[in-house]
Amino acid sequence: MKIITFNQKKTSKIALEFDEIVPNTVMDWTKENWDAYQVPIGNSRFPITDFFDIEIEGEADSPSQVKMVLNGDYGRVKYIGFRMTDGEIEVNSNADLHAGAEMSGGLVTVHGNVEAHAGREMSGGKLEIMGNTKEFTGASYIGEWRGMTGGEIIVHGNAGKQCGECLTGGKIHVLGDCDILAGIHMTKGTIEIDGNVNRWPGGQMKNGNIIIHGKVGRLLEGFVEQDIVTDPEVDGVTYPGRYIEYKGDIALNGKGTLLIDAEKNRDRLSTWIEEDDEYNAIRVYRNQ
Amino acid sequence: MEYVLKNGLVYDPANEINGEKMDIFVKDGKIVESLPDDVKVIDVTDKVVMPAGVDPHAHVAGPKLVVGRLYRPEDSRRGVSQKTKVERAEAGFSIPCCPTTGYRYSRMGYGTVCEAAMPAMEAKHTHEEIATIRNIDVNPLTLFGNNWFVMEYARENRIEDLAAYIAAFLRISKGYGVKIVNPCGSEAWGWGKNVHGYDDKAPYFDVTSRQVVLALAKANEMLGLPHSIHIHPNDLGHPGNYPTTIDTLDSIKEITKSTKKAAKTRNQTVHTTHLQFHSYGGNSWKDADSAADKVAKFVNKTDYMTCDIGQVTFDETTTMTADAPMEYDLFKISGLKWANKDIECETAAGIIPCIYSPKTPVATLQWAIGLELFLLIDDPWKVCLTTDHPNAGPFIRYPRIISWLMSAPRRMEMIENGEVHKWSHKRTGLAGLEREYDFYDIATITRAAPAKVHGFTDRGALTPGYNADIAVYGLNPNDFDPSRNPEEVERAFSWANLTIKDGQILCKDGDLVATKKPHDIWCDVKGWEEEEARICNEIMPFFTQYYSIKWETYQVYDHYLSDPIAVQALAK
Repeated sequence: MKIITFNQKKTSKIALEFDEIVPNTVMDWTKENWDAYQVPIGNSRFPITDFFDIEIEGEADSPSQVKMVLNGDYGRVKYIGFRMTDGEIEVNSNADLHAGAEMSGGLVTVHGNVEAHAGREMSGGKLEIMGNTKEFTGASYIGEWRGMTGGEIIVHGNAGKQCGECLTGGKIHVLGDCDILAGIHMTKGTIEIDGNVNRWPGGQMKNGNIIIHGKVGRLLEGFVEQDIVTDPEVDGVTYPGRYIEYKGDIALNGKGTLLIDAEKNRDRLSTWIEEDDEYNAIRVYRNQ
Repeated sequence: MEYVLKNGLVYDPANEINGEKMDIFVKDGKIVESLPDDVKVIDVTDKVVMPAGVDPHAHVAGPKLVVGRLYRPEDSRRGVSQKTKVERAEAGFSIPCCPTTGYRYSRMGYGTVCEAAMPAMEAKHTHEEIATIRNIDVNPLTLFGNNWFVMEYARENRIEDLAAYIAAFLRISKGYGVKIVNPCGSEAWGWGKNVHGYDDKAPYFDVTSRQVVLALAKANEMLGLPHSIHIHPNDLGHPGNYPTTIDTLDSIKEITKSTKKAAKTRNQTVHTTHLQFHSYGGNSWKDADSAADKVAKFVNKTDYMTCDIGQVTFDETTTMTADAPMEYDLFKISGLKWANKDIECETAAGIIPCIYSPKTPVATLQWAIGLELFLLIDDPWKVCLTTDHPNAGPFIRYPRIISWLMSAPRRMEMIENGEVHKWSHKRTGLAGLEREYDFYDIATITRAAPAKVHGFTDRGALTPGYNADIAVYGLNPNDFDPSRNPEEVERAFSWANLTIKDGQILCKDGDLVATKKPHDIWCDVKGWEEEEARICNEIMPFFTQYYSIKWETYQVYDHYLSDPIAVQALAK
């Protein structure tokens, strides 16, 4: 195992860009390589050793045996894990824009908050964020109509607006709350949200699944209530509990599935019967 | 600066030079007959030497491009490269930023590009963009086909007034020629409609496409402009549209070509653009097939028309045209994001991304029809290489198209190996065409013919006195078979060994070594100044009432132009 440890010496007001520094590209780099490397900052480049002390331990035969440990403050370092194919990156601070963007394999762990576009268009691997993320988590590049196509993003905190925009595959799991328009334009894949959702999840979705365990603020008109389901199974995973199932967005002839927790969103139902056969009773009520 | 390009294999169709080993002498930006022996020698032994390329139809500057770039940021991130000592940073694939456009043309050995659709109202901005496209000269064509004044003159058959209007508006917009896009159709789009066929009327104008096209053609020849009318016929992209195309072109036979000096270079009275999009049979996309044979047969038997193809290249691109209703139709089919841009009283444009996948039947049909037209039109002087950039594909794919044209085995390989959808051989005759272009033909359709079509008398050939616009490619035709090496053909034409513009070496071995300001080429009609003044006075009340900007700010003043070349047309 080869461990490359970055210890920060100084920060920059203009963001540094780490898109060229991922396990698959730096696997064979020696101290001389690092001393010679100049990191992009704005429209210029500067020696990376001006900003970091870099320690290298061990050897690696493949990128999967490379681990980069980033110590210090990476709140102004963009593109950490960009186009990474294998290996591991551990960030012991916040991270700036595009963390894990376009990665196709490996693991990126951020022990802090991450700015917007985390996991943008990733096609494989795992991005785990212990804090919050801002807008466009697992989304497409601005204007693009294909977002994340594979892999997994786990956000232990809250996610910002348009999480999973244009999702075309893979899974996003937000353990906290989610802002508006989660899963907008999605065509495939799964978004699971443990907390509450502000408004309009799944806007203009064509397919895929959104599971919300918390309270939903407001739904779009294009979602048609189907039924109340118990312990639904989505992509081989069972979600225990009772959920209101919607299909949508019919504005785009969409066939996506939106499951929201029935009990926490009981105000969406005209009546709620606290009996053993409550679900049947609700169904009967609906059909009247 | 004086030098000689020594021992190149020269392909210069305008001078009927076909692969002869020759020296080309350059002095002060021009090609000259000879130079003293002691001048600098640039050794190009056994390399292909051609005049620099001339693109007769592309969309490289103007309001459509701006809308496209704004609403497709995802395109801008493709093709990004960092600045160098010579170049600014590059960005964009199908709609690259302005400097990038110039760099990429230059790397391919091109020197001149026609911006094919400039609304007079947005001409200022178009010229501002042209000024930032380094290394290539640009001649923009002004849009007239849906102009309210033009439709009025055409309905009333006031050809002289129309000619005066054209002369005035070429001067005002600093345009080079007359462009017609979906005549009457783009105006109809203002009412949510389109016209279908050549004899449909524009709403509220009581004028047909036929009347507009013929009136503009007559006025064009009356003025004796260097370029003929440049037409994008009605019904673009619709299955079964080829009768409209042939109707349109057939009607031009009654037009008599001007004998005035500026018009002498060209042979045609009409140039039809992106003919591939206008050569479809069938009634719907379910039964659509190729009508390339019928259209090519018509082209072969006429002597008054030229065309460019608009070859599909199998890329994700951005379509943009002043044929707004067609773009709306495309939006309804694809569902991709769509933008519309209305130009008051003049035209309307639409923009939509398009994915030409070789696995889809329609894109494959379009690809095959384009190649069929190239191969079925007998005279290379009648056909020019274009992709209608960016509509059928980005211009950087020209080398790939050249490789397809030079290699029948490569075309068959694509069909037989299933690289393209089966419609390529089930609904077209491409599989039965064995013709292959040679270097002379390629030089014709990329240099000599486009220059002649546009009436240029200073480029497109290696004639002494012409601009020293030269391209050198690293191929030796004497020991190289392009039919068997299509990849090598594509590589060589993508990265010119040398690109020389006005005598200055801009590109070496595919890398830019210098950049230069572009020339903005426009047509200055002489002899009709009184008529121009009269017609401007005549339209002024209407202009003041209906246009949202003032006449004084409408006009393009000289300082908007980058190193202008005013091609004079002596109309009287």
